[in-house]
Amino acid sequence: MNTFFRVTLADFRESVRAKWFLIYCLVFGGTVVLLFVLGITESRVLGFTGLSRLLITYIQLCVAILPILVLISTVRGVVGDRESNILEYFLSMPISLGAYFWGKILSKFFLIFIPISGALLGAIVWGMLKSLAIPWEIAGYYALLLGTLSWCFLGLGMFISTLVKKQEWGLGLSILIWLVLLLFIDVILIGLMLQQQIQESVIVAVSMLNPIMVFRAGAVLLFDPELTSMGPASYVILDNMGHGGFLAYTILYPLSLGWLFSWLGFSRFKKGDLV
Amino acid sequence: MIKIKNLVKKFGKTTVLDGIDLTIKKGDRIALIGQNGAGKTTLIRAILGQYLVDGELTVLDKNPRRHRVEILERIGYVPQLPPPIQMSVGELVKFSAAISRKSSTDAIDQKAAELGLDIGKNVKKPFQKLSGGMKQKLLIALALAGQPDILIMDEPAANLDPQARQTFFLQLMRSMENTTMLLSSHRVDEIINLINRIVELDYGKVVQDDQIGRSRFGDKMLSCRVILTEEHKAAIRMLEDWNFDNLNGGLEFKGDFIGAERLRFLTSISHFANHIQELNIS
Repeated sequence: MNTFFRVTLADFRESVRAKWFLIYCLVFGGTVVLLFVLGITESRVLGFTGLSRLLITYIQLCVAILPILVLISTVRGVVGDRESNILEYFLSMPISLGAYFWGKILSKFFLIFIPISGALLGAIVWGMLKSLAIPWEIAGYYALLLGTLSWCFLGLGMFISTLVKKQEWGLGLSILIWLVLLLFIDVILIGLMLQQQIQESVIVAVSMLNPIMVFRAGAVLLFDPELTSMGPASYVILDNMGHGGFLAYTILYPLSLGWLFSWLGFSRFKKGDLV
Repeated sequence: MIKIKNLVKKFGKTTVLDGIDLTIKKGDRIALIGQNGAGKTTLIRAILGQYLVDGELTVLDKNPRRHRVEILERIGYVPQLPPPIQMSVGELVKFSAAISRKSSTDAIDQKAAELGLDIGKNVKKPFQKLSGGMKQKLLIALALAGQPDILIMDEPAANLDPQARQTFFLQLMRSMENTTMLLSSHRVDEIINLINRIVELDYGKVVQDDQIGRSRFGDKMLSCRVILTEEHKAAIRMLEDWNFDNLNGGLEFKGDFIGAERLRFLTSISHFANHIQELNIS
């Protein structure tokens, strides 16, 4: 096993013991259990019922909570280790900066993705036990969507972590970014359009660049192909890109953004003082 | 081994290392002393390749930042404060042994045992839950097991009990011939027998750089006999801490300690000078 995987494994073991991981697992596992207990599979929305209905509700809850949970749990990655002198100790060992940084990112990705995909899998298993029809296409696409969104905010979190000098600043900045991204989803954009203060093309561009908005639109797209339940910006985007193109965009854009932020974070990390 | 020329490190407007010139040769065992904020830790971190610095700095003829991994393969480091690692002792030992080419879990177990730490008994315990002394012993064992060419330690014996301190100094003495050492310490008396050079930093400059002759007693066990004038509880407690035995239930005590610790022993016992009738060290 090379150093990269050893660092990944070591960081994974470190993080699994942290309290935030337990809370994180409880939030997502608990959400699915709660949705079953509340009898959401029995209700109907836009013609959807059963497990599809549950998955749609689950993914919409993820839109709101996943980005901030990912940011909070990863933004301390580098700056937290730096403050606690863990970074000083580990980087006194023969570990390359690349192995340390990317190993940490991979470990955090597994930590984030395992509980959310585990909850998704749990819902499917439960649905099978209850003899519900399993919407494999929706489940597969949602797993992919959750993975790319996690990756996107993980990259952003690690980038912030290399940017700030104190954990508190990182947490503050994360919450601020999350709030700004939430403000710029369709609901606010509709208001802006109504007031006609900003050009439509700008609003569409802002909408397309907002990963939360892209994720939200992608989550709705499978069960509402016309995006009638979304705001006008999504409608315009769908018109321009087509159904398939927009589906591909909802996967590829957050993925690219995650890589970009990770790479920026690593560049900053290796070029400055390490501790 | 380490060449430093006009080394400067600034944090914002504060200059922490202010034109340091220092050459460390093979076999040098240096006490790096100085007040808080003198620049000791910054210098150590620069040598470990953790800071970007101005000026010339080469470790084993290479730039410590550009050739980090290669250089760190040959450096053992013990930090002053044990980091709050959540991993279990067993996981940390395996991780460290796997990362360093020359280290192995057996070597770490052995070094730890010599320092009085049984890794087997603590293998599942989180590193964070160990006592301060146990953490320090483990970190020292991890550093020594890698058979480093350069050993860098920041206040290495600060958390050790007297017995572990003796073993630790003895181990360092044994590895003296082949290992270059840089020991940062507030107290020179603790490490005087280990070192052959003192470098003092003040406000980021080298203000003292002296060679010291090697002690004849550093790695020898010294036998000591103490007779107290009366049954003084604090003095007796101090002697018991040094593992002295009371002879015949009277006022006479006998014990052994390593030569490297003699200054520390004399400092301890000097507090009870008024209660000592006879003191013999041989």
